[in-house]
Amino acid sequence: MKFLSIGIIILAAVLTLVNSAFLLPEGQQALITQFGEVKGQPITKAGLKFKIPFVQDVRYFDKRILSWDGDADKIPTKDKKYIWVDTTARWKISDPLKFTKALKNENIARSNIDDILDGITRDIISNFNLVEAVRNSNSILDTINKRKEEKEISGEKKELHIDDSNHLDEEITGEISSIKAGREKLTDLIIVRAKKILNAYGIELIDVQLRSISYDDSVQNKVYQRMISERERIAEKIRSYGQGELQKIQGKLNRDLKQIESVAYRKSQEIRGRAEAEAIEIYAKSFGSDPGFYEFSKNLELYKKTLSAKGEFILSTDSYFLKLLGKGP
Amino acid sequence: MATNGKGKSIEDVMEDLNKMLSKMGKRDGGGNHGQGNEPKATAFLMFAIIFLGIWGTLTSYYTVDVEEQGVVTRFAAYHTTTNPGLHFKLPFGIDQVTKVPSSRVIREEFGFRSKSTPQGTRTQYSKDSHSSESLMLTGDLNVADVEWILQYKITDPWKYLYHAKNVRKNIRDVSISVMRRVVGDRLVSDVLTTGRVEVADQAKILTQKALDHYDMGISIKSIFLQDVNPPEEVRTAFNEVNAAKQEQEQTINQAERQYNKVIPEAKGKADKLLSEAEAYATELINRAKGDAAKFKNVSSEYKKAPEITRRRMYLETLQEVFNKAKKFTIVDPKVKGLLPVFNYSANEIKKSQ
Repeated sequence: MKFLSIGIIILAAVLTLVNSAFLLPEGQQALITQFGEVKGQPITKAGLKFKIPFVQDVRYFDKRILSWDGDADKIPTKDKKYIWVDTTARWKISDPLKFTKALKNENIARSNIDDILDGITRDIISNFNLVEAVRNSNSILDTINKRKEEKEISGEKKELHIDDSNHLDEEITGEISSIKAGREKLTDLIIVRAKKILNAYGIELIDVQLRSISYDDSVQNKVYQRMISERERIAEKIRSYGQGELQKIQGKLNRDLKQIESVAYRKSQEIRGRAEAEAIEIYAKSFGSDPGFYEFSKNLELYKKTLSAKGEFILSTDSYFLKLLGKGP
Repeated sequence: MATNGKGKSIEDVMEDLNKMLSKMGKRDGGGNHGQGNEPKATAFLMFAIIFLGIWGTLTSYYTVDVEEQGVVTRFAAYHTTTNPGLHFKLPFGIDQVTKVPSSRVIREEFGFRSKSTPQGTRTQYSKDSHSSESLMLTGDLNVADVEWILQYKITDPWKYLYHAKNVRKNIRDVSISVMRRVVGDRLVSDVLTTGRVEVADQAKILTQKALDHYDMGISIKSIFLQDVNPPEEVRTAFNEVNAAKQEQEQTINQAERQYNKVIPEAKGKADKLLSEAEAYATELINRAKGDAAKFKNVSSEYKKAPEITRRRMYLETLQEVFNKAKKFTIVDPKVKGLLPVFNYSANEIKKSQ
C-alpha cells in the first residue's frame, strides 16, 4: 500500500513537472494562453521554458521565413496584353499575438495572403504597360544607342567588316520603348501596399518576386509569328547583303581588270612609239648623208626580196640588162 | 570466449550494484522496508539503471561526416556547431544534433532535370514539361528558352536550418525571378549569343543579394547558363538566319575567289604586254642602228667609185634575181602584142588562178 501511494505521488509529481515545462525549438516562437486568453509576451528565444501546469497552454508559431507561392494569374496590362503573372513572396510571423487573433494559423494566413497579393498584383500590373513588367531599366536602350554610335564610327572608317553592317538591324527587333518604372519598381509598389495591410495581421512581408511573366497562349503564338517573320526578314537581308557584296566585288573586278589591261596597252604603245621614233631618227640621220645611194641600194634590195624565186620574166631587148643582146656589141 | 567474458563482467557489475543499493537502502530506510519487498525492488531498479545506462551511452556520442557540420541544440536551443569527427553530447535527447552538408556544393537545375543514370555513363537530360521555368520574355518582348544551373553551399548551418523554412524552394523562386529580370533587360540576340556570361554573372550577383536579404546562410558559388535557345516554335527561323549568314559568306567568298583568280592573271598579262613592247623597241632600234652602220660603211666605199659600183651592184642584183627565175622570155620591142608569144595550156591557166 505504502509503495503504491508513493508511486502515485511520484507519478503526479512527474506529470506536473512535464506539464509545466516545455521545449521551444529553434525557429519557433510560442504564446502562452490561459483558457484561451493570451498571457504575457510571446516567447521567441528557444530552450526549456515553464508555465503553470494544466491551466496554461502553449501555442507554437513558426519564426522562420516562410514562402508563399501564388497561382499564376491572367492579367491584362495597360496596353491590353494578356499575360500570366506568377508571384511568390517571403513572409514571417512578426507578431504572434496579432497573427493568432486575426488569422489563427498558417493555412488561413496563406489564403489571406493569396487574396491580398493577388489583388494588389492585378491592380499594379494592369496599371502599367507590359514592358514595365518585363524590363527593369533602360539599359537596353543604352546598349542600342551605343551600338548605333559604334556603327556610325565604323561606318566613317568605310572599311566595314562583313558582319558589322547587319549586326545592328538584326538585334533591334520588337518594340523598344523607354520605361518609367520597371520590374523592381512594380514589385516595390506591390510590397509597399501589401506590407501595410499584412502588418495589421502580425505578418511581416519580406519581399515579393514576380517569378515569371509569360504571354497568354494566343498572344504567344502571335509573338512567335512575329519572331519568325523577323528572322525571315533578317535572313533575307543577310542574303541580299551577300548578293550586294558579290556585285561590288564583281564591279571591282571589272574595274581593276580594265585598268590593268588599258594601262598595260597604253604603256606598251608608248614604248613602241618611242622606239619607232628613235629608229626613224637613226635611219634619217644615216641615210640622209647620201639619199641617192640610199634610194639606189634600197631599190636593189627590194628587187632581191620582191622578185620572187621561180617567177617569170618577160624582158624587152630594149632594157639595160639586155641591151647588148639586142644591139650587139 | 568473448561472450562469456562479457557476461561475467556484466554480472559482476550487477552484483556490485546490488551490494551498493542494499547498503544504501539499509542506511536510508532505517529498517522501515519489509524484508520480502527488497529483492523485487532492487531487481527493478537494476534493470532501470542498466536500461538508462545503455540508452545514455548510445545517445551520448555522434559522428559528423567529412562533408558535414553538426548543429547541436541543448534543450531545443542552439548550443554549438561541430566539425567533422567523433563528438560527445548530453544523452537522453537533451542535446540533439542535426547534420548539414555544409561543404558540399549543391546543385539546382532550371528548365531541365538530369535523369539519374548508371555511374560512368554520361548524364542524360529530360526536357519535358520544364518549359514554364525556362521560357522567358526578353527586353525586346521576344521569348527565349534559357536553361541554367545554380550551385550553392551552406555557409551557416544554423541559419540554414532555423532562419527560413524550405530554403531550397526559396532559392529556386529567387533564381527564377532574378534570371527573368536579367534576361528581361536584354535583347534576345544578346541572350542567345554574346551576353551569356554577362547574364550568368549578373544573375549570380542579384540572386546572392536577394538571399543575403533573407539571411539563410547560403552562398551562391556559380550560375551557369546551359542551353539558351529560341523557343521550339521559332527555332527553324533562327536556324535560317544562320544558314543565310553562311550563304552570305559563301557568296562573298566565291566572288573574292573569282577576283583573285582573274586579277593576278591580268596583271601577268599586262607585264607580258610591256615586255613584248620593250622587246620590239629594242629590236627596232638595234636594227636601225645596224642598218645605219652598214649604210654608212657601204656608202663611204661607194663614194670612192660611184659609177662602177652602181653598175656592178645593179648587175649583181639582176644576176641573183634572174638566177631564181623559172621562166625567162625575151621579146623584141618591135613585136606588137605579147599574147601570141604565150601558149598557155588549160592546165597552166588553172594553176595560175
